Amino acid sequence: MAELKGLAGRILRVDLTSGSVTKEPTPENIFAGYIGARGAGAYMLLKELKPHTDPLGPENKLFFLTGPLEGTLAPGANKITVTFRSPLTGTYSFSLCGGHLAPEVKFAGYDGIIIEGRADHPVYLWIDDDRVTLKEASHLWGKLTHATEDAIRKELKDDTIRVACIGPAGEKLSRFACIQSDYHREFGRGGAGAVMGAKNLKAIAVRGTGGIEVADPAALEALAEKVYSILAGNLKAKARRYYGTPEMVDGTNGIGYWGTRNFSTGYFEEAGKINAASMKEKIFVGHSSCYACPIACGKVSYIKDGPYAGTMIEGPEFESAGLLGANCGVADLAAIVKAVEICDTYGLDTMSAGAVASLAMECYEKGIINQADTGGLELRFGNGEALVALMEKIARREGIGDLLAEGSKRAAEKLGVPELAMQVKGQEFATYDPRGCKGMGLGYAISPKGAHHMIAPTMGPETAGDGSRRLEYKGKAALVRETQFLLAIVDSLSLCSSMRFAMGLKEQIELYQAVTGLALDEAGAMRIGERITNVERLFNLREGFDRKDDYLPPRMLKEKMPTGPSRGNVVELDSMLDEYYDLMGWDRQGRPTEAKLADLGLADLWREVNY
Amino acid sequence: MNVLVTYPDRCVGCRICEQWCSWKHEGQVNSTKSRVRVNRVHSKYLNIPVTCMQCAKSPCIAACREGALSKNPATGAVIVDEEKCIGCRRCIRACPYGAVGIDKEKKVVLICDLCGGEPQCVAHCREGAIDYVPLAVADRGQRAAYVETVAATMEGGCR
Repeated sequence: MAELKGLAGRILRVDLTSGSVTKEPTPENIFAGYIGARGAGAYMLLKELKPHTDPLGPENKLFFLTGPLEGTLAPGANKITVTFRSPLTGTYSFSLCGGHLAPEVKFAGYDGIIIEGRADHPVYLWIDDDRVTLKEASHLWGKLTHATEDAIRKELKDDTIRVACIGPAGEKLSRFACIQSDYHREFGRGGAGAVMGAKNLKAIAVRGTGGIEVADPAALEALAEKVYSILAGNLKAKARRYYGTPEMVDGTNGIGYWGTRNFSTGYFEEAGKINAASMKEKIFVGHSSCYACPIACGKVSYIKDGPYAGTMIEGPEFESAGLLGANCGVADLAAIVKAVEICDTYGLDTMSAGAVASLAMECYEKGIINQADTGGLELRFGNGEALVALMEKIARREGIGDLLAEGSKRAAEKLGVPELAMQVKGQEFATYDPRGCKGMGLGYAISPKGAHHMIAPTMGPETAGDGSRRLEYKGKAALVRETQFLLAIVDSLSLCSSMRFAMGLKEQIELYQAVTGLALDEAGAMRIGERITNVERLFNLREGFDRKDDYLPPRMLKEKMPTGPSRGNVVELDSMLDEYYDLMGWDRQGRPTEAKLADLGLADLWREVNY
Repeated sequence: MNVLVTYPDRCVGCRICEQWCSWKHEGQVNSTKSRVRVNRVHSKYLNIPVTCMQCAKSPCIAACREGALSKNPATGAVIVDEEKCIGCRRCIRACPYGAVGIDKEKKVVLICDLCGGEPQCVAHCREGAIDYVPLAVADRGQRAAYVETVAATMEGGCR
């Protein structure tokens, strides 16, 4: 049993090349210094991966790590992180998955699972408490994700087993393949599914029957009750419960920063057809919750009629509606639902999938590709039918789908139009157009995993009140820095970010202390957030990433937003970057200075791993 | 006397009921020690809560050869005598709902004790998917569902 409460005390290490499975004690000093999950993963990846490891080679590793809170009474503690070198970006990357997988891993007695090497034929990992085996998966190879989950539960004769698996897209090494769990929860971004596919690992199945000790049960119980009661009265939480994440459509589009038609603008005229009210009226039929969540933002959608009649999914989430909807100019809810279904069952990140589709559409409209290239598809913005057909091509790597499965950066370079890919470091934008929300632009730019919205989600404070602050530059570098540390803490605790509706840093720390028994104050937590951020930066620095890679595409820097409430805006990035680097104690090339590394206790680590 | 009623159509599958059941009984969150369990039917997007229904003539009690199970006369809950229970699992197989569990450490069965009349699953369900109601009105929803089916066949209503 772990010394540090809240931990299961062991980490599973699986070498697929040799087939060996070992159980190591959880490095408690790392969990104490980095909280867990994302933080611990960043440290382990930097420490264990050799420089310039091929993301799709056997030397890349997948660190599936939980935090100290999962499997306890802590509300909304249901995330598990996977950390890896991304085949899409070449950077450090991580992705968080909700659902019910994380607590099951803890109940089975593990704080994490490290996957190394490469199996010589398809296998899946079966973790049944202490009994861990690699099982034959040739019969599952080629199966869609839902069918894979079902087949595994059936052959193991237990319908409550939790499964994380890849679909055909991961097997075919699509660079934005995801890992799917509980049908519609995923390790979405960065291509972890391709890393799993390259390792011939089809799935991880878990069953756990244990429990987790906590340091102060009475305090934990009181905190849980407090969070429930705050959320029950919180308007934002109520909107999430009622409408799911699409509750954000109106706010984002309404002030003009909802990426539309490959980010040619930030205002989608037809947003009313795909906003939350429309979804609620036309397609929502039920709710679905991740483990221990008092909000239950998951919405089940069903298409009753038309060409996609009978399609049923959990979603679409806000980001999917944005990137497969507005950003492709598509206002047909049924087509969006069908596109999400294809992504979820083949195992593709809906966000990057929407972004490569919008790139292809812009190329088609501009005559860079034609019907001969698209296999007859009339790939115009707004054509939902073509979007659905294109999703299948990408998922199967057929025709132009083979090129697009490489991600927008590689595809656009191949087509000779690199400037049309809305990405940073190869990772496609989330659905916010940074011209209408400047801090998000800086966040996309400096994010260690490429353009991603949850590294520094500053949109809340930036759009508060009359929303005008979103267009200002003053204070944005500081806001991004602070938000980045706060999110590093939330992710490392493995709390769902929605729990921030009820818990600020103070309450998160109270939860952490009640579970672990470790003393921590707000300054100490922010320091951990800063340490994690620097470790992530160091991984990328070792791979040659620096300021030159912290740039937005020229469209964001030079083309004035043509329509909507943010009309006329661009992003003036350089001054924000300078200010941000200065505040971080990095040099103007975005490299952590010796002094900063010494201050954070990372100097020795950097000397050790930078060879 | 009250009994538990579940409404699967309302359950979202958060399993907070499982958390509180095991927390209050075992001092630890542990799904396998929770007396209430939620199974997700992924292919139909359903979550089905499963718990003891306080049968009047309990098959679990009838199946027990050791006299380990008895009924609390005040609440109607089935009480497990851990001294007498031999962990033979006959009651698990006798339960029509699959609602009886087993404690892998103590090797005795786990049956809902209604938390002495204040079931914690009910207290913590935000969705109203499990309720604790008087026996006489417990399954009115079943009848309502049947009535709806019949009414649907009578197109013109009373006309």
